[in-house]
Amino acid sequence: MSLEPGAAAARTSVRERCGKFLTFFLHGEEYGLEILKVHEIIGMLPITRIPRAPDFIRGVINLRGKVIPIMDLRTRFSMPAADTDEGCIIVAQIRGLQIGMVVDKVSEVCNVSPDEVEETPSFGVEVHTEFLLGLAKQNGRVKLLLDIDRVLTLTEFAAANVVAAG
Amino acid sequence: MPYADKPLPDLLRQLRADLKRTSADALATLTRPRAGLAMLSVTLPRALCTARHLAALSAEALDVADDATTWATHGTNVLSAVRAATNAIAEHVDAPDDFGRELVLTQAGQRLLVALGRDTAEWFRDEAAQPKTGETNDASTSASSDLDAAATLILMVEVNERDEMERIRDHLRRFATDDTAGAFVRGLAKEAESSLCVVLESIDSGHDANEALAAAAECVGKAVRARDEEEDAATRAPRIISAAVAEAATNAVPATDAPTPTSAAVGSVTMDELPEGDHELISEFIMECSEYLESAEAALLHLEIAPGDLEAINTVFRAFHTVKGTSGFLGLHDIANFAHEAESVFSRVRDHEIEFAGGIPDLALGALDLIKALLAEVEIGLSGQPMTRPSNYDAVLQRMASVAGSVAPAEPVLVAPSSPEIIAAARLAIVQDEMPQDDASVLREPRSAASELSIRVSTDRLDRLIDMVGELVIAHTMIAQDEHVLAPGQHELAAKTNHAGKMVRELHDLSLSMRMVPLKPTFQKMTRLVRDVAQGLGKQVVFATEGDETEIDRNMVDALSDPLVHMVRNAIDHGIETPDARAAAGKPRQGTIRLSAKHAGGSVVVQLRDDGKGLDRDRIIAKAMERGLIESAAKMSEAEIFSLIFAPGFSTAEKVTDLSGRGVGMDVVRRNIETLRGRIEIESTRGEGTLFTVRLPLTLAVSDGMLIRVGKERYILPTTSIFKSFRPDREELSTIAGRGEMVRLHDQIMPMFRLHRIFNVPGAVLDPCHALVVVVASGEQRVALLVDELIGQQQIVAKSLGDNLGKIEGVSGAAILGDGRIGLILDIAELLVLVRGGDTGTGAARAVA
Repeated sequence: MSLEPGAAAARTSVRERCGKFLTFFLHGEEYGLEILKVHEIIGMLPITRIPRAPDFIRGVINLRGKVIPIMDLRTRFSMPAADTDEGCIIVAQIRGLQIGMVVDKVSEVCNVSPDEVEETPSFGVEVHTEFLLGLAKQNGRVKLLLDIDRVLTLTEFAAANVVAAG
Repeated sequence: MPYADKPLPDLLRQLRADLKRTSADALATLTRPRAGLAMLSVTLPRALCTARHLAALSAEALDVADDATTWATHGTNVLSAVRAATNAIAEHVDAPDDFGRELVLTQAGQRLLVALGRDTAEWFRDEAAQPKTGETNDASTSASSDLDAAATLILMVEVNERDEMERIRDHLRRFATDDTAGAFVRGLAKEAESSLCVVLESIDSGHDANEALAAAAECVGKAVRARDEEEDAATRAPRIISAAVAEAATNAVPATDAPTPTSAAVGSVTMDELPEGDHELISEFIMECSEYLESAEAALLHLEIAPGDLEAINTVFRAFHTVKGTSGFLGLHDIANFAHEAESVFSRVRDHEIEFAGGIPDLALGALDLIKALLAEVEIGLSGQPMTRPSNYDAVLQRMASVAGSVAPAEPVLVAPSSPEIIAAARLAIVQDEMPQDDASVLREPRSAASELSIRVSTDRLDRLIDMVGELVIAHTMIAQDEHVLAPGQHELAAKTNHAGKMVRELHDLSLSMRMVPLKPTFQKMTRLVRDVAQGLGKQVVFATEGDETEIDRNMVDALSDPLVHMVRNAIDHGIETPDARAAAGKPRQGTIRLSAKHAGGSVVVQLRDDGKGLDRDRIIAKAMERGLIESAAKMSEAEIFSLIFAPGFSTAEKVTDLSGRGVGMDVVRRNIETLRGRIEIESTRGEGTLFTVRLPLTLAVSDGMLIRVGKERYILPTTSIFKSFRPDREELSTIAGRGEMVRLHDQIMPMFRLHRIFNVPGAVLDPCHALVVVVASGEQRVALLVDELIGQQQIVAKSLGDNLGKIEGVSGAAILGDGRIGLILDIAELLVLVRGGDTGTGAARAVA
């Protein structure tokens, strides 16, 4: 993660940071994911662990005959692991690939307008913010807008994958 | 007069075509006087007739008069030269004195060549300079034409023609004083000029001038060549053509490599536009043609070994004939004309008029490639983009025409009919009518046979079918394992489910087999590759294939082809030595490369063996240390050292060639093969050769798996890799240094690895005596895996773990189990690498102690 915090947000235009977002909870924080990237939301399914994979990869599930990897966003963001009753899987589709993300609870679909978006403040090396497009303030709450592409491409796997394929 | 009602421009075109053909025939005469003369006797009068008629007409028609007159003059000049030469050849062809005959032939040939070369040059110049007016020609062109004129004249001049010689001298003088030409060329021209002065003096004084004339001629020839070299190939292509033609003729082989430099100039000629009509028909035609061409290529390569094989000749002939017929019918004239010439060549081969030797194999293969290229263009054209004619079209066509010596122009082409019935009928008519009597039988039989035995199905549909059947297998397994079916007292239901299961499995096998194709086409491609590469490197290589009927999943064929190409190239470039080096090493001058395929243990084994110099162990070590890949080779096994060549950027080639040595090859090879879940191994003996073994799964959809349990996790082992399983007794177990565990099976001691340690699975049975040992085989090796229990065998459909997960070591894929969960399929070979190789990765670090 050599990228400077906030670099991702700085590169993204405001246009990309507004629109409809699906919000969900993760360790008490509310995150937003562009609705166009969401393929579907499914309840918890039995997950098959993949040995020797990074810990934020929970494993794979069978989604109607398709094998889909599942990422644990809590682990990904270095939060304590916990399975909630309302936990579910958001299946995102990025560049034709599907990947599931385990979240605590799905909240709502909200509209984010440009004037509600703010740059992610920098916290130095303590807190990683390169996964964020920016922050949205709505009804007194702060929603963290996820840059899902970076969440996925910055994974160690993907890096390994690039090495293998390139 | 056959030309009476044709308009002038048409006649011009006709004349050009005739001239071209005549030139080609004349060239052929040089190499095969008797046959060539026969051809000339037909083409020459015809061309002369056109030329004369044109000259006569052009006087009347003023609008194109300039152009036409020039052309007619050109034409008649060239033709009379040709005729003179022909007569000379004709007179001497039967001469008993070999030397004299040769001399005459050579002289006649030279004259012809100059005349023809000049003709071609003029032709191209005309094309380039339009509208053509004398004033617009720049200085350098006029200087060049001086030299050309001199070159032409000097070879035609007789010793007693003083006037002519003076003209030549004037030309040369003009050229020599022109500063647009290079100094060297001008020097040559001056030399020639002075020689000519000597000639003139000799004539005046009555001495024999022959020698001086020859010297002058030589100088001019040199000058022409030098100038051609100096000038940019693209702008001066016509002259290079003449030079190339001359060179080719002196080699007494129908030209093979000559036209390469011209490609740039002749390139980007737009092809005929796609005819109006049924595009579907055309794409079908392309597919059909590709098949014919492939079989023709195989036959051609076979012919090189067995030149007399009539069946193979017929196959080639048939291919060209079909391509010609159908393409002509569809209005693809470029292809039709081309295929026509190719067919003519082969009809002569078939009739034993010419032998399948010398430049013919190259020519034929070149023709095949060209037709393929043309077809590719048509395919592009179908998508609505403009088509360009392959750059060497004219060159190859001309060479073929020269060999074919056919008289008739491409056969007239039917106008595209409208209804399918007419199309079908017309097609049949083409097939039957165009054929000479004896060909008809040759052609009809395989066509009908082929159409009855197979139908075309798009691969998309096939893939979907196979996927669906795969899902059906899973669905059935879920039913069969349902508690209601398994409940006691449900025998009826269980029997029915079983029955259905059998059908489903059979259906699955069948659907998979539909996608299996033999490796033959892939191997054939290699045959061609070996031929071309070996020729290019000046090495002699015998290429043998074995087991090309071995079938493999169609999806894997293409992916296998690339690495094979690399390997074969490497084998020829690095492996096989030059004939001299081989002889010095006491080996036959011809190297042998053997490509074989077979089924073994549920996988396909492709082996590439060469008897070349083998891998240089020391050099590999040195190179690897230099690159920092290893620190010392002390503890490395032979196989480990050899596998260093798969490292990216590794190359031991002393020099980088076009083919290999850049070090990008072998790592790509290994990566490609690993993508196919295959493995590659090397064995090599210094001085004796190298053996590459590639193991690939039969299909990416595995069919039988053994479900095993470790702790709470379940994995699938490919049934084919399981050798035996048993619960070990205490005395069968032993350890090395308290850590390396071993198990004895009968008399064999093998290492035992605990799957739960490799995969870090909690809650597994720790005491081997209460667990189960599964002996798995990977290649020659056998190792024991410790698991908790075997659950049972199951039909599985292997799925990839998803592209975004990348490669998971030790796991080849996933399959959906009877309860809808996912089971990971173990890759034994990778597991072994994992536990053996100095893997310091996550698994080892996290392993439960």
